[in-house]
Amino acid sequence: MKRFIFKFILLFLIPLALGLFSRSVGFNYPQALSISIFSVSILGTLFFWDFRLSFAFLGTSILLLTQVIDLNNVIKFASLEVILFLVGMMVLIGLLKEAGLFAWLVSLILRIRNLTSQKFLIAISVISAFLACAVDEVTSIIFMVAAILEICDYFEVDPVPFIICSVLTTNIGSSGTVLGNPIGILIAAKAHLSFEDFIIKAFPLMLLCLAVTISLLRILYRKTLKQFDEKIRELGANEMLIRLISVPPERELRVCLGIFGATLLFISLHHRLELFLGLETNTILLIAPLISAGLVMIWKWRKARDYIEKDVEWWTLLFFLLLFAQAGTLKYTGATDFLAKKIIGITGGDPRFLVSTILWLSTIGSGILDNVVLVAAFIPIIHGFEALNVNIQTLWWALLFGGCLGGNITLIGSTAKIVALGILEKERRIRITFFRWFRIGLSVGLITTGLVWFALISLPFYR
Amino acid sequence: MKVNEIMTKEITSLSPEADAKEALDLLLKIKISGLPVIDDKNKLVGMLTEKEILSAILPSYVEKVGKFVYEENPKVVKQKISALQNMKVKDLMRKNVVTVDEDTTLCEAARIMLTQKARRLPVLNKAQDVIGIVARGDVVKALFREAVAE
Repeated sequence: MKRFIFKFILLFLIPLALGLFSRSVGFNYPQALSISIFSVSILGTLFFWDFRLSFAFLGTSILLLTQVIDLNNVIKFASLEVILFLVGMMVLIGLLKEAGLFAWLVSLILRIRNLTSQKFLIAISVISAFLACAVDEVTSIIFMVAAILEICDYFEVDPVPFIICSVLTTNIGSSGTVLGNPIGILIAAKAHLSFEDFIIKAFPLMLLCLAVTISLLRILYRKTLKQFDEKIRELGANEMLIRLISVPPERELRVCLGIFGATLLFISLHHRLELFLGLETNTILLIAPLISAGLVMIWKWRKARDYIEKDVEWWTLLFFLLLFAQAGTLKYTGATDFLAKKIIGITGGDPRFLVSTILWLSTIGSGILDNVVLVAAFIPIIHGFEALNVNIQTLWWALLFGGCLGGNITLIGSTAKIVALGILEKERRIRITFFRWFRIGLSVGLITTGLVWFALISLPFYR
Repeated sequence: MKVNEIMTKEITSLSPEADAKEALDLLLKIKISGLPVIDDKNKLVGMLTEKEILSAILPSYVEKVGKFVYEENPKVVKQKISALQNMKVKDLMRKNVVTVDEDTTLCEAARIMLTQKARRLPVLNKAQDVIGIVARGDVVKALFREAVAE
């Protein structure tokens, strides 16, 4: 109870202090209020995760009541395009899950022939990363954890190191495309970056981070891998695992795969199609999942309501919507422009310094906070730099990688990790300690962020 | 008619500290799919049904991975069944239990069973002590009996 009260007091004292400090350094009243309220939302997610939506509701209402922002602008800044994209993707993922696609993927992992520990580590790492690229990190991690637990149970080995590997590579993989993480689509929408931009600039860097991480994990977990190989020799081939589950190859699964494949195709070609059809940037990117979801709901009209009510995470999406509106208020009041001007004044607009600052701050920040909260806060500041004629292209990539890779550092840093560790605790009653994670997470987080840092500041390709 | 007129007053219950394996044996012996868990102060603390047992022995992710067929029994099921030996009823029971008070009408009990998907409802008195249990079958029978009598 004492801890709860302490957190509650901090939740009000820190934003109050921030507001007063902002006033004292030259921010006007609406700017200081918008900073205070946005910081309540940030701290609310940190201290009271289950109440985050309540804080977002109350904060946005206060901003409207105090006329810091008007209703039209709340709607404008709420980034409905991003929310609708996520709704469409969640409906599609729900359909794929129901059709058995993910269970089929799990069965493929269980059927790896002539399994060795090295093969297993590489397979789960690569599949985790690529699955996170194609669907979202939370969906991907559930299936990976299921496959890892089944295999580790069969061979009677500790699943924890392999679950850690899967979570780390899932977070890394989520930076590879716009689909992997909500911050990907948020950055794409706000920076007018296309899927192609992600494939050209983010994907290769993600592959590099993945390769380095796998090599590092092979060294860090060499003893575990050796024990696993001994168990494979002792228990023989994974014949029982090969037969363990099956997914009926029904027509429905093939149709669902076709719909998902077509959606991915349209998403990957969206930029070309938009140019060809003379559409606004990212129109097809944002509507492709909606068109597919709409068609799915006509096809499966009896279950359409279930897809919307059960598969769409309204709690999270409503939080995002109001958070984006609150972050937009920082832009609307000019708070972030003021801050951007101050930063440029101090640094002289040195691009390397700005990239380093955004990358490392977002890396450290997303180790502690939900990365969407962090990215939503940084976006208006980066737009503020743009207004001061700073080249911001590299900053978007710094923000993307910082937001995804930082989640690997601590135990609380990413949603995928929270989901995976939740299953592990429920299934095996194993609770990973902060430091057991931190030892591996910090090494992987620092090395991968360091690689990205080097690439972003030294390769002209990213400027 | 009220639930206190049709409820089973002599209820078999489980203690939260009882061994899970013994509780399962009792469920199988008396051929009932679930029992209330009542502490030594006669307060309801949970419900243990076959569903909770199945949830405890199957992997928790089976509901999340979508459509598939188990062609073999996974090794973990055997391990989890043996692990039941070391577990208490309180580790397995469902803590959120829908209850009714003794003056609840039959239709209200039926409405609660339907909307809350409950097969049986523990009946509590004003002091929140468990005084009986009413099953779905009891409510259906009583409703029909009452209608015919009228």
